[in-house]
Amino acid sequence: MAGTRPTTAMSGWWLGLREALPLLGGYIPVAISFGLISTQAGFSTVETLVISTLIYAGASQFLFVGMAASGSPLWLTVALTLLINLRHLVYAPNLAPWLPQSRWWPWLMHGLTDQVFALAHIRLPQLPESQRVGWFFGAALLAWLSWIAGSLLGAVGGEWLTSRWPLLGEVMPFALPALFLVLVVPRFTSRRWAAALSISIAAALVCTLTGLTNIAIPLAAACGALCFYLIRLPTTHGPEAGGKP
Amino acid sequence: MSLELWIGTLVAALGTYLIRLLPLLWMQRRMKSSDRGEGPEAMPQWLVILGPMMIAAVLGVSLVPRTPDAAGWGATVIGLGVTLAVWWRTRSLGWPVVAGVLAFGGVVIAARMVV
Repeated sequence: MAGTRPTTAMSGWWLGLREALPLLGGYIPVAISFGLISTQAGFSTVETLVISTLIYAGASQFLFVGMAASGSPLWLTVALTLLINLRHLVYAPNLAPWLPQSRWWPWLMHGLTDQVFALAHIRLPQLPESQRVGWFFGAALLAWLSWIAGSLLGAVGGEWLTSRWPLLGEVMPFALPALFLVLVVPRFTSRRWAAALSISIAAALVCTLTGLTNIAIPLAAACGALCFYLIRLPTTHGPEAGGKP
Repeated sequence: MSLELWIGTLVAALGTYLIRLLPLLWMQRRMKSSDRGEGPEAMPQWLVILGPMMIAAVLGVSLVPRTPDAAGWGATVIGLGVTLAVWWRTRSLGWPVVAGVLAFGGVVIAARMVV
């Protein structure tokens, strides 16, 4: 029916927007920190917004402004920024089987952050094809705009905000681990998957605690994958090697 | 910002975008030429394993509280427990997160008042 297509697209868009709401709890406080640090490093508000809008990759943005402010060679600053973002290489291929034909996907890939990937990897296979582009658009747009808005807040009034509501910046980021926990738990479908996923979580935690935050995600994921291939535990239920969790 | 730094920003932005885009184009081309169809079965096995591992790693990284003291860690454990319990009952995405943040915030505020 001609009338159902816009409704479905709109409901997908709205659903994506709603389901990405928990991301704001993590994005806005971190973006405020970035805006604050960026202006303290000598970047103007407009420059801070351009970096957040165009590069749009949390950890590497902190590195970029830090190195630029300390006078590091520009080629090294750019190279390390890209190196940190290399982990994104495996995100789009993991989503590709669930992306229906659309000319929007190349543009939407700008919004493929760690968190949007984690959400999309679980939700896209569960959605009807007609809702997927809209869903991704809604989720990615909300995340992107919240990152830009948070950077603006941080650049303009970051110091005032963090001194006025210090607890808010401490409590709201918990939305991220809570969301990721909900996304990961359904994947504990067998002892083999449980062991590999646990190794990945633990390795990432240890890397972060020891200051290896920038390589924590790819390194921990590699440890988990290695564990998956190396161990052969008896299955309880669920798909095994090569199957989806 | 100097002209040089503007160019650096644009190169970093373009590079980051290409890191996100090019693998998609590669995978779409691979699926089209695959005799296993364009579905998930066309994905290489290592990629099927790596996806969930990346999400688990993102969880691990985000577990460290902003203030990593006893109150922060205690609130994290309790917040995760509440998140898990609410997920177990509702099997939804939003409510467990709301409950987890409230529990985490409650513990942090209570701990800060006591200490």
